Amino acid sequence: MPLSVDERWDLIDKISKQTVTFGAYKHTLKDAIAELTVKPLTGIPVAIAVIYGFWSFFCDFAGTLFTDGFMVKLFDEHWLPWLQSVFPGGLGNPLYALMVDAGHIENGVLVASDTCFESFGVLTSGLFVPFGVVLWAVVAFYLMFAILEDVGYLPRLAVLVDTILHKIGLHGYAIVPTFLSLGCNVPGVTAVRPLETRKQRFLMITLLAVFIPCGAQIGIMQDLVPELIGWIFLTLAIGYLGFGFILNKIVPGKSPELVMDVPPYQMPMLRNIASKLWIRTSRFLLVAVPFVMLGCLIVGLMYLTGAMDWLAAVFGPLLMGWFGVPAETVAPLIAGFLRKDLAVGMIGGLMEQGIMTTFQVFTSVVLLCIYFPCLATFVMMLKEENWKEFLGSIASLVAMVFIYGGLIHLVGIMLGVA
Amino acid sequence: MKILLMGHPNVGKSVFFNRLTGAKVFESNYPGTTVDFMKGWMRIGGEDVELIDVPGTFSLEPKDKAEEVSVEMLEENQDSVVVCVLDASKVERGLYLALEIIEKGYPVIIALNMWDVAEDKNISIDTEKLERILGVPVVPTTAISGEGFKELVSRVKDAAPVKIEGIVTSVAASVRSTGGGESAAVS
Amino acid sequence: MDEGEEKFGQIYFAVLGAVALAFGAAELIASAGGGFTWGILDSSGATDPLFLPWRAIILLSVGFFYLSSVKDFAEVHQLAKSVMGSIMIWIVAGMAIWSRIASSIPGEETWFNSLDGFLASYAPPYCPEMFLLPFSLVIVYYIFKAGETEK
Repeated sequence: MPLSVDERWDLIDKISKQTVTFGAYKHTLKDAIAELTVKPLTGIPVAIAVIYGFWSFFCDFAGTLFTDGFMVKLFDEHWLPWLQSVFPGGLGNPLYALMVDAGHIENGVLVASDTCFESFGVLTSGLFVPFGVVLWAVVAFYLMFAILEDVGYLPRLAVLVDTILHKIGLHGYAIVPTFLSLGCNVPGVTAVRPLETRKQRFLMITLLAVFIPCGAQIGIMQDLVPELIGWIFLTLAIGYLGFGFILNKIVPGKSPELVMDVPPYQMPMLRNIASKLWIRTSRFLLVAVPFVMLGCLIVGLMYLTGAMDWLAAVFGPLLMGWFGVPAETVAPLIAGFLRKDLAVGMIGGLMEQGIMTTFQVFTSVVLLCIYFPCLATFVMMLKEENWKEFLGSIASLVAMVFIYGGLIHLVGIMLGVA
Repeated sequence: MKILLMGHPNVGKSVFFNRLTGAKVFESNYPGTTVDFMKGWMRIGGEDVELIDVPGTFSLEPKDKAEEVSVEMLEENQDSVVVCVLDASKVERGLYLALEIIEKGYPVIIALNMWDVAEDKNISIDTEKLERILGVPVVPTTAISGEGFKELVSRVKDAAPVKIEGIVTSVAASVRSTGGGESAAVS
Repeated sequence: MDEGEEKFGQIYFAVLGAVALAFGAAELIASAGGGFTWGILDSSGATDPLFLPWRAIILLSVGFFYLSSVKDFAEVHQLAKSVMGSIMIWIVAGMAIWSRIASSIPGEETWFNSLDGFLASYAPPYCPEMFLLPFSLVIVYYIFKAGETEK
């Protein structure tokens, strides 16, 4: 005989009266601190401090210590010169160009590259991007993320931003997939599933795929254009909130409240953090490394066969006219479809050759962020959404890129920097 | 035999899972969905037993995709023992899910997790009495510090299906013996 | 905690709060002018222009947290504000120390830093939060006291 819902609650009521005793409820210091972190007046300063800690740790761990401290030396001063000297062929040889160094034209002469950002070979950039830069960024990110998660801060951050996110049809919980996406968009897209309605999931996936740069990308940005990174984040955040607001108005459906449990603060368990870090990082590497190397190969082949020049000629006017970026950005935009980190690295290469203004670098990095999700995210979206929603996401994405990209160009013209 | 780990979201289930299994855990994908769950092995009485961390669910009437998967996983594993993880400071809420699972005829063992939090909040639970009423093993645990896990593992063998009618009768008996009012232990 | 301890805590954190506010205001002004270095006090934000105003906001909040906890200091919700203020200092100062550790290990041209270079990385000037750090640790005593009362 199954019980009805009411009978079951009635039974539970009787059981708990028999077994549970509540003492006089008294707040502990821990409760009081927990309260401080969710009330807006005190919670917002705390959040500002926590994010400061997150970001400084990220920069110093990934940038100062590993990438600049050791990896740049290893790759630029030892690995690249060594390969340049022992790999058969030499500058101009197609296989050499694909695997080691494509070189670039300076004053009409083909010269060798100095850095692994410029060289663009499968064995140089293809290894430097994932192992020299991105790996450390991702480890730093997931380490901090796991700590915040296990300490119990993340759900409180969600409670804190609940009100703001309601305005764009999302719930405070959305901060979790958003934050997770700052590591990698793929698990971010998966993390939208507790959102209750299809509308919320659709909004969240679309916004994530468009406006949230992944850890790999941030790592490279931090290495290449640290002085622009504040502006880039600001631009993306405005886009996220602005387009969220608009999409919420035009997409039909409801956005109900999601009741969320907030666990108490606790000491994180080392083993739990280590295992999370390991699972997330190793998954990331499995996806990233083959795609980066494949990306190098495809872009290299497109240069060799002249396909890239043809595309640059075709799309150049559109890129220059609408977005204000040079035709050469075609190459990073194509690579960006495979891996965003690789693509930002290519912009770094273009920068070093001195063919872009600062504003063009800024615009193209933002464009890279928003113009298309990387292949892995794309596949994830296909799995998570039905066809109609998927096409909807793509359509909104194209619209957002053109509107926002054009807008940025316009603002640049008005400020006189474009 | 398989063991399913079930409970509300945020009752410390993933730490719980980590406490019970060895280093080798697998994250798998539930076929046809993007819901992931963890799978690992634990040793009970010298025997390797598969442990599945079912996605958190509030009840067996699913409200979202992840909850649907939880219910399906329960139904697919008819021969398993269910370890039901409850938040000890919110026992009533967790008991609802536990009773639903008991009604479906699964052998259940209840873990009153976050026991330390309940203590912080001056909530005390008479676990022996709860065990007598329900007829299933009840063990207080604190996943973060590992307290209670040894007992939990040793008591998995005691889990057996019980009839809901039996629970209804034993509650009634218990109410009669304490005079029907609030628990006698109110201080 | 007894009355004497409460009195001491009130005065102590009122002063510390005022100092934090002053440092915060100085950093805010400094961030408008690109930062300054004064003796062993460093408020230059040389590494990243974004960090200076960011830190200023945190320091000002720390000051407010400390000052607002002074009234009825022994009450747990009031005490919690001072605890939070100290935690915020620990975050910023901890990261400043971490930043020095990260830059002290690798060398300029060589793989690892020389011993002199390594030690030089830890020399002053320090940012304001580093100066506040030792003084903020007093809160640990009160956290311990509060824990005793709860038991």
